[in-house]
Amino acid sequence: MKTIEEALKNNLTGLYYGSRVLLPFKCLLLKVIIEDDIITDFSPNSKSIYLNETESFTEIYFKQFKNLKEAVSKFETIKLIAVEKDKNIFDFKNHIKLALHIGEEHKLTIEKTDEDILFIE
Amino acid sequence: MVLNHGKKIKRILIITISFLFFLNLNATAAQAVGQKASGTLTNVLNTSSASEKLLPAAWMIIPFLLLLLMIATGPIFYKHFWEKHYPKVSILLGAIVVVYYVFILNNYQSLVHALAEYISFIALLSSLFVASGGILIKVNKKSTPFVNVVFLFAGAVISNIIGTTGASMLLIRPFIRMNRNRIKPYHIIFFIFIVSNVGGALTPIGDPPLFLGFLSGVPFFWVIKNVWFIWLPAVLLILLAFYLFDINNKRAEEKGIEYSGKIQFKGTRNLIFLAIIILAVFIDPVVISWIPSLSPLPFGLREIIMFAVVFLSYRYADNEILKDNEFDFEPIKEVAYLFLGIFATMVPALQLIAEEAHLLGSKLNAGVFYWATGGLSAALDNTPTYINFLSAAMGKYGLDVANKAHVIQFVSIDDVYLQAISVAAVFFGSLSYIGNGPNFMVKSISERAGIEMPSFFSYIIKYSLVILVPIFTVIWLVFFYGKG
Repeated sequence: MKTIEEALKNNLTGLYYGSRVLLPFKCLLLKVIIEDDIITDFSPNSKSIYLNETESFTEIYFKQFKNLKEAVSKFETIKLIAVEKDKNIFDFKNHIKLALHIGEEHKLTIEKTDEDILFIE
Repeated sequence: MVLNHGKKIKRILIITISFLFFLNLNATAAQAVGQKASGTLTNVLNTSSASEKLLPAAWMIIPFLLLLLMIATGPIFYKHFWEKHYPKVSILLGAIVVVYYVFILNNYQSLVHALAEYISFIALLSSLFVASGGILIKVNKKSTPFVNVVFLFAGAVISNIIGTTGASMLLIRPFIRMNRNRIKPYHIIFFIFIVSNVGGALTPIGDPPLFLGFLSGVPFFWVIKNVWFIWLPAVLLILLAFYLFDINNKRAEEKGIEYSGKIQFKGTRNLIFLAIIILAVFIDPVVISWIPSLSPLPFGLREIIMFAVVFLSYRYADNEILKDNEFDFEPIKEVAYLFLGIFATMVPALQLIAEEAHLLGSKLNAGVFYWATGGLSAALDNTPTYINFLSAAMGKYGLDVANKAHVIQFVSIDDVYLQAISVAAVFFGSLSYIGNGPNFMVKSISERAGIEMPSFFSYIIKYSLVILVPIFTVIWLVFFYGKG
């Protein structure tokens, strides 16, 4: 199982199918932004999101969207604030801001957001 | 997704143009039976046909009220239904009025008139939206209350040059970036107050209601000449309120950040497109005599230029800038669909209000116009509100808003009514998220950046009622109380 840093370093891509996103690493999520929805409720009863973790990847289901490709346009991204599993979640320096680009053939490009992409924690 | 949007836009344009031809064919047929019909916006505005004197039934304003009610409540109470079905709702309600006018009143003229105004309106908004979406500004400067005040004041001025929509699109991201270490919802709310609304009260390019006034015959420079002395104290008072909020923002600055003080600007080519849009506003046979009229088409060279800018500025935009701006056609698509319905459904409301105002006569003073226009602009969209109350004020003198010569005559009779309507329509649009098109766009961009914005009602209760209403009351007391 890769960490976020390893996945970024190796330019690993994720996958998406319909409302489902597969990230090639394990992580703890703090905040997700899709379109203008800011999601911070990751409890099992959340109306917006369902999370599942397997041995080798993290799954996210966006319950409000049937098809992510239709919801997130060419120049938009899904944004996450995540923390590595083994890192101190309370240290802001460990909070990693990621942008997920919806590509062709179910490919999900993952990148660390630079200062050009607006993303306030 | 963008390609899909592109296809959808093409389809909408094709349907719209087909619809125009259909209406024009019918208008030409109507001409044969004695009605004056004309296709160009200018001629339409100057023509007062016999059919317009036939008043619609009072219940025909129901589609208009229903649409405005749904625009207000949809995004809050039934968000997902509204997001999916608003185009159908808007077109269906508009179609009810179109069918009524075509088959019951046999009045094609009013519809052609409304359609011509719609095309001009959407041409301006979409061109400003797309051209400014291809520009990226980065201000590498430490944000302080004073720097923010200067930024917002500059935004207020710029909104008169590229419109509140263009200025909001262009400046909201640099404003958030500049304040990223101390950003709070009030920053965005004051941005909406000043740049997205109040600031744009000086020129017809500033805010859609004033542009519609210009299209109806209000001289271009009338606004700045007659409104600047109301605009300046209003902007300064709101800035003072912002300053008081901002000096109390004690959020700790991140240490070790160095600021170069530089302003970086990308997408210079799109500045040329913005300049073309501004120049195109004046390309009208009435303003410049040698400009060819495209009669009987209900649009002119101006609209063709603006739509060409939409295509070219998107086609040749830097993809990196579009990515950084997270450019999406959705906001302008929403405006295009909703205003298609608004322009169609407001036709009977316009005629009925003008008639009522004519009957009420001297009972309506400038203060009544100020609060009535403002109150409705806050809850509904300010563009139809402006034109409805302009129509009402002109009705006092037996003048018709659909007749350009009448509008020019009205402006020369008494300034105070048009001042009250213009100021109220623009200023009060800031009272709620739905008062003006850019308000929701700015809210959406801010939320996409991770800023949790107040709800519809929190915005009104915590900010509008506390900050704006007292300022607008002062404006009323000083400029409109007991006048007219």
